[in-house]
Amino acid sequence: MSENILKELCNRLLSLFKQTETKEDNAKDIACNRLRVVLMQDRTNLTPELLQRMRRELIELLSKYVEMDKDALELNFDQEGDQMALMLSIPVIRAKDEEEIEKALAEEDSKKEEDEDDDASDEEIGEREEANEEDNDNDDETSEEEVEDEVEDDVEEEETEPEIVEEKTEKTKKEDKE
Amino acid sequence: MTGRVIVITSGKGGVGKTTTNANIGTALARAGNKVVMIDTDLGLRNLDLLLGLENRIVYTIVDVVEERCKLKQALVKDKKNPNLCLLAAAQTRDKTAVTEEQLKDICEKLKKDFDFILVDCPAGIEQGFQNAVAGASEAIVVTTPEMSAVRDADRIIGLLEAKEEIESYKLLINRVRPNLIKSNDMMSVEDVVEILSAELIGIIPEDTGIITSTNKGEPIVNDDKSLAGMAYRNVAQRIMGEEVPFLNLEEETSVVAKVKKFFSNLIGKEK
Repeated sequence: MSENILKELCNRLLSLFKQTETKEDNAKDIACNRLRVVLMQDRTNLTPELLQRMRRELIELLSKYVEMDKDALELNFDQEGDQMALMLSIPVIRAKDEEEIEKALAEEDSKKEEDEDDDASDEEIGEREEANEEDNDNDDETSEEEVEDEVEDDVEEEETEPEIVEEKTEKTKKEDKE
Repeated sequence: MTGRVIVITSGKGGVGKTTTNANIGTALARAGNKVVMIDTDLGLRNLDLLLGLENRIVYTIVDVVEERCKLKQALVKDKKNPNLCLLAAAQTRDKTAVTEEQLKDICEKLKKDFDFILVDCPAGIEQGFQNAVAGASEAIVVTTPEMSAVRDADRIIGLLEAKEEIESYKLLINRVRPNLIKSNDMMSVEDVVEILSAELIGIIPEDTGIITSTNKGEPIVNDDKSLAGMAYRNVAQRIMGEEVPFLNLEEETSVVAKVKKFFSNLIGKEK
């Protein structure tokens, strides 16, 4: 009898000392994630505005080839040892058919010609060069390749089974997060 | 003799650079090495206090540079260990009183007589940092598992990587609190190492003994019972090229943990 009471007491005391279930949003993980983001900005000299611009330009570029969920596009830097990689994850809604792609490209080509004829304003060129320099600084060669690879994959799969691909991209998104 | 010049730096202030310097220096000297510590924190010197040598300083590094005394005259010998010396910073001058070239020159001269030259770097990334790093070929970056300290350490690592003279740098994580890490309230050593992707040379647990040892002017490595002291002695051995496993700080030492353990044992016995 007294043994049971003692056991009960012990269990209650133990449960008091037990730590609350580990939440995903514990202070440690929040700190790690905030640090990762801020260090990427520090290391690359990319301010949030520049990142936003990069994102916008990427969307503009990729939209020519695939129709994607622009709001769900994720752009992150990943660090593996000394190597920095730019990770781009885009849920593809639908592959564009050849006609659409050709049309978009043709539009762009004609635009370019116009620009050349117009003797593109100096200001604009200066801006572009600046952006290019920024890219070179961060040895983004590999990063760019990675982005391309990922996009290519998306497109290939897309052509055969659009519905499945959506899931797949979601999956890769998750993997990326991990 | 060609000594190794190691700069101890952090970016952020208050993470334990000077404490680390005093303890690693003392531990290296205890192990039989000839060690000199240079305090380059002009205007904010503290290394003398941690070593309990504040009353013995006659000449400072500025006196050496301005040729009011010879280099050897400015070296203050430690109370206990004749292998240990301090070249103190001037308290009345600012960071511009010594140049990078002058510090390099002093380090070169000291290399001939000492095994280790430990340079205590001021906080920040301005001229004081540049001066301290100038003569060094190795660096120890001190940080704590706190966001601001890790961010500043990352900045410092970036600057060290850009310096040709720095051949290697290692990370020392100070003020580790195992209980907070266990409850997921603090970043773990692994988290910090992964984020900074740097090689680790030491993990120092938070230890209230540091406060008393600072008050007494007696580095904690001289206390054989202290866990932090042992961790610092291990760092010294690693610097000397020995392979020493990192301390296991997982074992809980808090009162709560002890009570918990007591009750678990009790239940075990009841069964």
